[in-house]
Amino acid sequence: MKAILHLIEHDFRNFFRYKWWLAGLISMNLADLLIMAVVYNQMLSPEIAEQIKSYFSFFAPGVTVVGLFASAFMIGREINMEVRRQIHHYMLSLPITRLELALGRLLAGGLRGMMYMTPLLLTTFLIIGFPSLPQLFIILGALFLLATGISGVSIATAVSITSFEKFITARGLIYYVLFFCSSIFYPLSLIQTLGQEGIMPQPLVVLAELNPLSNGADLIRAFLLGNPAFTFDMIRNLVVFSAIFVTAATIAYMKIIERK
Amino acid sequence: MAIIQTIDLTKRFKDLVAVDKLSLSIDEGEIFGLLGPNGAGKTTTVLMLSTVIKPTKGTAIVGDYDIRKNPDDVRKLIGICFQEPKLMWVSTPWDVLNWHAKVCGLSTRERKRRVKQVLEHVNMWDHRRKRIHGLSGGMKKRVEVAKILIQRPKIAFIDEPTSQIDVVGKHKIWNMIRELRDEGSTIILATNELFEADVLSDRVGIMHKGKMLVCDTPKTLKDSILGGDIVEVQLEKEVTKNVLDELKGFKEVVEVVVVKSDDLRIHLNKVEKVVPQIMNLFLNERLPISSIRMSEPSLDDVFVHYTGLTIEEAEQKSKSR
Ligand SMILES: Nc1ncnc2c1ncn2[C@@H]1O[C@H](COP(=O)(O)OP(=O)(O)OP(=O)(O)O)[C@@H](O)[C@H]1O
Ligand SMILES: [Mg+2]
Repeated sequence: MKAILHLIEHDFRNFFRYKWWLAGLISMNLADLLIMAVVYNQMLSPEIAEQIKSYFSFFAPGVTVVGLFASAFMIGREINMEVRRQIHHYMLSLPITRLELALGRLLAGGLRGMMYMTPLLLTTFLIIGFPSLPQLFIILGALFLLATGISGVSIATAVSITSFEKFITARGLIYYVLFFCSSIFYPLSLIQTLGQEGIMPQPLVVLAELNPLSNGADLIRAFLLGNPAFTFDMIRNLVVFSAIFVTAATIAYMKIIERK
Repeated sequence: MAIIQTIDLTKRFKDLVAVDKLSLSIDEGEIFGLLGPNGAGKTTTVLMLSTVIKPTKGTAIVGDYDIRKNPDDVRKLIGICFQEPKLMWVSTPWDVLNWHAKVCGLSTRERKRRVKQVLEHVNMWDHRRKRIHGLSGGMKKRVEVAKILIQRPKIAFIDEPTSQIDVVGKHKIWNMIRELRDEGSTIILATNELFEADVLSDRVGIMHKGKMLVCDTPKTLKDSILGGDIVEVQLEKEVTKNVLDELKGFKEVVEVVVVKSDDLRIHLNKVEKVVPQIMNLFLNERLPISSIRMSEPSLDDVFVHYTGLTIEEAEQKSKSR
């Protein structure tokens, strides 16, 4: 247990070594929010405009989730670098069990995501309004599941794909699919309608529905904007996503890493 | 009493057998020098014993635990100083060592005291707040060595501690390794520096191509080379094959090592009787001698002697012994 805390401390220290870079990224996220909100607001069709009110308040939860995703994914980049430079041998030699090692890194990745996301989430609250206390707990719990799940995806990818080039490509692919096949930038209802009209291929619609980023963003929207309506499917999808990738990363860390 | 016992320990990387059915026994409280040329399998052995990589076959008992069955227990006993410093580039020496000490369970007070003490000992106190990537190769190595000196594990694996380190630093580190042993740690010192192994080790094992060729105290190994005397001859011209053959023809001469084409080490018995004959031989062959010196065998000779053999020959020797 203590070991897990030490690992989290280790990864937070590394995180803060990039503090200026992080500050830059957060500012960019916020700038995205402003620019896109202003521009996209002008491009909305009347039906959509009616549905989501302002693009600004629609997109703010989306940006929060994007920030969470990018920052929780950073742990994978670090672990990939460790494996390539064989620094992971050091980690593997410490008086820590493999399970503690895996959980420590996973949690560290997730918590770093939560920390990075906090200013974005606060901005969202300031713009749209604050949730009730129980709602806040549900939001934070759900986002924590999302963050550890993402941390898990990144660790599993980083450990299985050692070559830096391939890792970056895989990361790009994951980013691309999860960002654009989601309700971050456009409402899920729109994607579903496009699916029914045969414009959007059905598998992509299903992916957008199950996509944890959609579920995370829509959960915040459900509580703050009332649209889309809150469903327990959102929580369930996040739990399943998190469980799958926490397990995948743990197995990767416990089994694969010793063979590298 | 053996604190480490390997049983047919084997590691294969695809087609390459890096460690081949190694059987090795290390006693509690000794400094064991693991010698061998580049690629002999020293580092691979150390990594397996410390549970960092899994053996392909065989196993080892470290402390009272099997490295395959109870790796978590093994890790509580060991510490490694890696051949290549394993340091995050964005970190600083102080952070690296402080965190390492914390994970290894040192109390806050003990940790602060020891980190400072060891950093001062390895002359890194003034550099403790610098980024790792701004340190020189030798400085990084000093930080790596400091880890294990702070940790003081029951079993310390130290892989080439003084490669890249200057002469003064070397002697300091050797002293600290001896102190570590005197405080009760068992030390496995992998190195290809023979002098280092000779001055530090209670026993040495020479590895070659994944196998252990011989294993004994440095003194016994030196004595085991037939021809207790060595004559070093420096010539003014290159030696001829004819002369080499004639030298080998003396029945007292056991081995002639050609260090360079004009520099010979002749292992022989009855030195007082043979040296005049050898000098006559060189004179007759018109090969002027620029210097001649008598010495005792060093670990270098042991090394050349054993690794110069084919594995089969070495195995036969160790069987017939
Ligand atoms: N991860 C790996 N993948 C493939 N081959 C490896 C790996 N690690 C080591 N080897 C090979 O195993 C053999 C033994 O390597 P090892 O590092 O154990 O040698 P060593 O005795 O420590 O040598 P040195 O004195 O150069 O440090 C070498 O031929 C090396 O190329
Ligand atoms: Mg080595």
